Amino acid sequence: MTEIDDLRSAVRDFLTDNAPVRSNLEDNPSTWKRLSSEMGLTSLPVEDAPLSWLAAVIEETGRVLLRQPYLPTVVAATALKAAGDEQHLAGLADGSLTAALALDGDLTQVPHGLEAGIVLVAKGDELWVCEETAVEPLETLDLTRPAARIQVSAGRHVGSALHARDLEHISYAAESVGAAQRVLELVVEHLLVRTQFGRPLGSFQALRHKVADLTVLLEAARSSTWYAAGEPEDFAVAAPLARALASEAFVTVTGEAIQLFGGIGFTWEHDAHLFFKRAWTTALATDSKALKKLAFDRSGA
Amino acid sequence: MTFRDEVASWLAEHLTGRFAPLVGTGGPGREHENVELRREWEKELATGRWIGIAWPREVGGRGCSIEEQVVFYEEYAKAGGPARINHLGEQLAGPTIIAFGTQEQKDRFLPGILAGTELWCQGYSEPNAGSDLAGVRTKASLVDGEWHVDGQKTWTSLAHLAHWCFVIARTDPSSSRHKGLSFLLVPMDQPGIEVRPIIQLTGTSEFNEVFFDDAVTASDNVVGEPGDGWKVAMGLLAFERGVSTLGQQVGFTREYADVVELARANGTFERYEAELVDAWASLQVLKHQALRTLNTDQATSNGVEANVNKLLWAPWHKKLGELAMKVSGSAAMLTDGELTPLQNLFLFTRSDTIYGGSSEIQRNVIAERLWKLPRDTWTAT
Ligand SMILES: Cc1cc2nc3c(=O)[nH]c(=O)nc-3n(C[C@H](O)[C@H](O)[C@H](O)COP(=O)(O)OP(=O)(O)OC[C@H]3O[C@@H](n4cnc5c(N)ncnc54)[C@H](O)[C@@H]3O)c2cc1C
Repeated sequence: MTEIDDLRSAVRDFLTDNAPVRSNLEDNPSTWKRLSSEMGLTSLPVEDAPLSWLAAVIEETGRVLLRQPYLPTVVAATALKAAGDEQHLAGLADGSLTAALALDGDLTQVPHGLEAGIVLVAKGDELWVCEETAVEPLETLDLTRPAARIQVSAGRHVGSALHARDLEHISYAAESVGAAQRVLELVVEHLLVRTQFGRPLGSFQALRHKVADLTVLLEAARSSTWYAAGEPEDFAVAAPLARALASEAFVTVTGEAIQLFGGIGFTWEHDAHLFFKRAWTTALATDSKALKKLAFDRSGA
Repeated sequence: MTFRDEVASWLAEHLTGRFAPLVGTGGPGREHENVELRREWEKELATGRWIGIAWPREVGGRGCSIEEQVVFYEEYAKAGGPARINHLGEQLAGPTIIAFGTQEQKDRFLPGILAGTELWCQGYSEPNAGSDLAGVRTKASLVDGEWHVDGQKTWTSLAHLAHWCFVIARTDPSSSRHKGLSFLLVPMDQPGIEVRPIIQLTGTSEFNEVFFDDAVTASDNVVGEPGDGWKVAMGLLAFERGVSTLGQQVGFTREYADVVELARANGTFERYEAELVDAWASLQVLKHQALRTLNTDQATSNGVEANVNKLLWAPWHKKLGELAMKVSGSAAMLTDGELTPLQNLFLFTRSDTIYGGSSEIQRNVIAERLWKLPRDTWTAT
């Protein structure tokens, strides 16, 4: 067991107890408090924890479809720290300040826009730190990731937006991998207990092979995500690539999961649709074709 | 001098002169190329102690770390080193003997592999035992201190060149399935063995039928206990860590670059851009997956890394072959009798998803080993 594995399992225990999937249908301020001040998870960027640790934590938040703005807050802290912009770091680290990201420049539908203390906005390829001046909550099909239409102050220029975007890419990749992994586990549990034709569903090869194919898709995305999270030399290639692959895997796994669950998977009661909808929030905000092309071009292949 | 420099400079010094024609030759679908010279090359590698680099020092290997092995494969591929004519000896027979063999067997067989003088082939598959290897029918029995082997193997790669074959045979006639099998080492040059080439869909031939008609081998030439052949045959898979996969990827990268270059040169890049970019993305994944596998130890292994690797690279490679043809256009079907490298890629990759555990079998293994899903059992009524 390495340190990162310990971190992973501590976070998993914490989230399983304090933020199980269903709890994320509603906001739960105490979860955020415990996650930041008790567990100290928001201070990782400021403490110079490796990016791989952050990715591991985000992966865990994906498993429970965490509602709180962990992802944008730590991405913002990491990006601001990298840019040498210290002003908000203390607040972001202790959790008293949360962030939202509008790194594609679009303010009409900002994830976690409702509660954000600061917003990182990209204008072209330049990064600005802004504050919200108007907020209009939006209803979304995705019940675990709130969004808002916002307006922001002129803000302060902090540098290039490129690295911040790559950090966002790797974070979404990690979240997608964690969520897809959880769904696949749930599917397998179901295939083991549900019997039809006198045998467990999981003994039918059509379903076994489907599970294996989803596994390969997911393992591939995980390998690319972990690779990028290790901040290799070609991070700027690996990060967008990982997001593209992971978001594709997330959509495929959650879509197939509903099929594998059968009727029960089509119900409001079941968690399958929560994962499925989160996958689509992610996928629609991820132009995976364009990200692959971006990575391809950056690689000089 | 770093290890990388050492490898690179040795190759630069030796893969020239009479060996220059070997650059980029051999390999799947092209094993018929430069056979004699590649046998010489294997001996040349031996002089530099480049055979068995992963083997422990005690048995004459170099005891290279995983990182060093990766470096070796990368540099070898970069230099265009020819496909190794005794990979079955170095990668399968040798490691099996090291893991399960007696001291006498190590002393007898490893030096020939390390010297590049004794070539090996793998006698597992039979007409009635393919994916279901436990169905082997080739029999062997001990008579007067010798094993007598009868039966037929098939798809035996490079059997026509090999000096030795490792054979899975049923030594307990009353046994069935995984029990009662033995792992025998059988010399190929004897009256009881006949090798008949099989022409592949590439039009070339590198695998064979091998007929055993009272073929003999010494009683000592059984690896592990008689009856433990299944364990020995499977044991090897446990050591598989995908090191050579990284070397293989240097080759994949070159093949991919050739396809992209062709697309740019003949103006089809735009038309196939999405497929070319996807293929590139998957190629990166192969690298990431292999690196992750290498960094995985017993404790963190999910037990199916090798299966995932195979399901990633084999279909990818097959698709690359198809893409190569599409990029080339109709003229890709024209031939003067010799396959072009792209045609060979296209045709040979049809086998990638069949040999070494077919894609379907890999999926079964993932379902069973990782997810513990029950087997799909069919019982004759
Ligand atoms: C180029 C090449 C080189 C080879 N070299 C060697 C060698 O050197 N030595 C050696 O011993 N063998 C060698 N082989 C043989 C190879 O290992 C077998 O071809 C392979 O194991 C498949 O067996 P089979 O051909 O009998 O096909 P089968 O087992 O009959 O399979 C036919 C089809 O059925 C599928 N299938 C089989 N069982 C199942 C199942 N349970 N569930 C779902 N689908 C299933 C397979 O995936 C395949 O698609 C080589 C093969 C090739 C193509």
